[in-house]
Amino acid sequence: MEIATQLVTYGILMGCIFAFVSLGLSLIFGVMNIVNFAHGEFMMVGMYVTFLISSYLRLDPLVSLPFAGALGFLLGMISYRFLITHILRGPMVAQLFGTFGLMLFLRYLVMFIFGPDVRTISHGLLVGKTISFGWISLDASKVITAGACVLFFGFIYWMINRTKLGRALRATSLDTEAARYMGIDTERMNALAWGIGGATVGVAGGLLAHFYYVTPTVGMLFILIAFATVALGGFGSITGAFLAGIIIGLIQGLGGHYLSELKFTFIYAAYFLTVVLRPRGLFGW
Amino acid sequence: MRSKWPIVLVVCVALVLAFGSKAAPKEVKIGVILPLSGPLAPTGKSLREGIELCADVVNNKYPDLKISIAQWEGIPNLGGAKIKLVFADHRADAGWGADQAKRLIRDEKVIGLTGCYNSAVTKTASVEAERAGIPFVNGESTSPALTKRGFKWFWRVTPHETWFTADLFNFLDGLVKGKARGVKAVSKGQIDKLAVATENTEWGAASLKAIEEFAAKHGYKIVEAFKYPHVAADLTSEARRLMASGANTYLFASYLADSILFIKTLKELGASPRLVWGQDAGFVEADFGKTLGSAVNGILTRDLFSPELGNIKPVATQLNKIYKQRAGYDFSGSSARDFVGLQVWAHALNEAKSTDPKAIAKALNALHIPSEELIMPWKGVRFGSPFPGDTQQNELGSGVINQLQGFPGGKYQVVYPFEFATANLMHPFPGWK
Repeated sequence: MEIATQLVTYGILMGCIFAFVSLGLSLIFGVMNIVNFAHGEFMMVGMYVTFLISSYLRLDPLVSLPFAGALGFLLGMISYRFLITHILRGPMVAQLFGTFGLMLFLRYLVMFIFGPDVRTISHGLLVGKTISFGWISLDASKVITAGACVLFFGFIYWMINRTKLGRALRATSLDTEAARYMGIDTERMNALAWGIGGATVGVAGGLLAHFYYVTPTVGMLFILIAFATVALGGFGSITGAFLAGIIIGLIQGLGGHYLSELKFTFIYAAYFLTVVLRPRGLFGW
Repeated sequence: MRSKWPIVLVVCVALVLAFGSKAAPKEVKIGVILPLSGPLAPTGKSLREGIELCADVVNNKYPDLKISIAQWEGIPNLGGAKIKLVFADHRADAGWGADQAKRLIRDEKVIGLTGCYNSAVTKTASVEAERAGIPFVNGESTSPALTKRGFKWFWRVTPHETWFTADLFNFLDGLVKGKARGVKAVSKGQIDKLAVATENTEWGAASLKAIEEFAAKHGYKIVEAFKYPHVAADLTSEARRLMASGANTYLFASYLADSILFIKTLKELGASPRLVWGQDAGFVEADFGKTLGSAVNGILTRDLFSPELGNIKPVATQLNKIYKQRAGYDFSGSSARDFVGLQVWAHALNEAKSTDPKAIAKALNALHIPSEELIMPWKGVRFGSPFPGDTQQNELGSGVINQLQGFPGGKYQVVYPFEFATANLMHPFPGWK
């Protein structure tokens, strides 16, 4: 019972982290129908921002989060303005290869600048601290990341459903032409979706760097899980991404304990079954 | 009648040039296949630096180094031909590695290959060398299966897992018998319950199999054993599984990223085994200690090299100093072995006096490099059949067990073989509570 409770708790925590990483991916797809292969690299850039601020300026890594978010936002906007607007004119395959190219460019640019070395953050308010709840002891930085995930999901959900800006984003995603006729600046909405997507994953990366190693290829590990999360939850569904993240966290947590070799098999089996039985995902439009 | 001498002269000059250039090439191209991108990129970088240093030592004069290649300035019996390395990135992908081997052989016209670090990639890439009939000299892949295939064109310089696992259990037995430096005899009951976590590629699977065989032979109980995907975002469940097993000894076969993740997670969970041992790979990378700091103190790792071996092998200290100046960190067991791997290539070429594959193969089979030529604590390099089924496997190699002490900024101290111990053993493992 004790082990089961621990596994479920760890699973939920990791699930929140997977969901957090997937949030921006889901948003961008929801608004523009584009799969951003470079999303993991946006996260990696956020991790490097936190690492650099923590290691070279000797500030608490938490201080870096607004900068990681801001850089993620800028990266998203710049990617949209200088790459996506151009490849949108091409066929679907150009969009796929375009963001794939952006992924490789960012990954190897960072590798060129910082080298392939693995780095970690060694000091900070949350780094290496644990919080105990009865017999369960949890990494404080994972708990805070999960908390931040819930806050960000809540904020994005509120923004999409309750604000004028959110309604404009939704209108753009449902019918760009009609939205334009209604006076919505759809270009701005698209750029904003990329910016918000970049910002959320930048902050997620900044928090992840508290407990995960930083290396130019780290995005690769998370982007595959993020794709499975978004597909399982339903492309474009914010609620779906959150719940799917939790489901995937639980699958990999329990799978890792009982059948470690197959833990990713279970995740991708869930993804495969969703694609076959319910292509729009659990909560997709 | 016009003299025929000018024509004869021209023909002679042409013949001399043609045969001369074939007998003494200006450079010999050797293909090097390594993981230069992806999660293993830091490891690939350190291996590349080891191989590049060896090529540099062969190609240029290093009068202070008392080994023969340092005096050569090229391959002497090939007219001073320089070694030119052609690198290829296999991305830790066995299929891609085989493609790179094909490309190097077909397009780059390399005379032979070395690499690939990951046993699974070495396996597929060496098949391409076998098909093409060119030599593949492997410096650092340790899956026993690699030299049990009966290949004619594959030679392995490093000892394989069977040796290392034998070393581990001899070390554990020695600990029980009170042979470890600075530690009284330990009751076997304190270290006899083993939990084994190995990554799930060929190397990890081979490690697990060897551990299971030796544990049964030496009377140790495996209370938990599993393989896991080394490209993992989280290893909390696996770490919990180790702790829940009640094992007092944790054994790992992990690459760099997953070894870091495992230790971080075990620290976070407050695990307190009495002994932690890693099967080289991630545990001997410079980034392992640098990244985890004091959390690594007391961890044991099988290895083949330690900068502390300088007392026994001064040349190891000299070369490590040069390597450190260039790379910024010490030789690891893997990068030091890759240095030796290329050194074997250089000696074989010199003995073969030709770049003809058959001549190189003959030279490799007859090669004997004595211990004093090597930076490794080995008796030398000579290919043979040290274990049943092995072919063209170096039979003079051996391993050491190092312990990480004094991190951050600490050292890998040799604790086994007991007679070569460079420091007292820290035992029991201090734990992460």
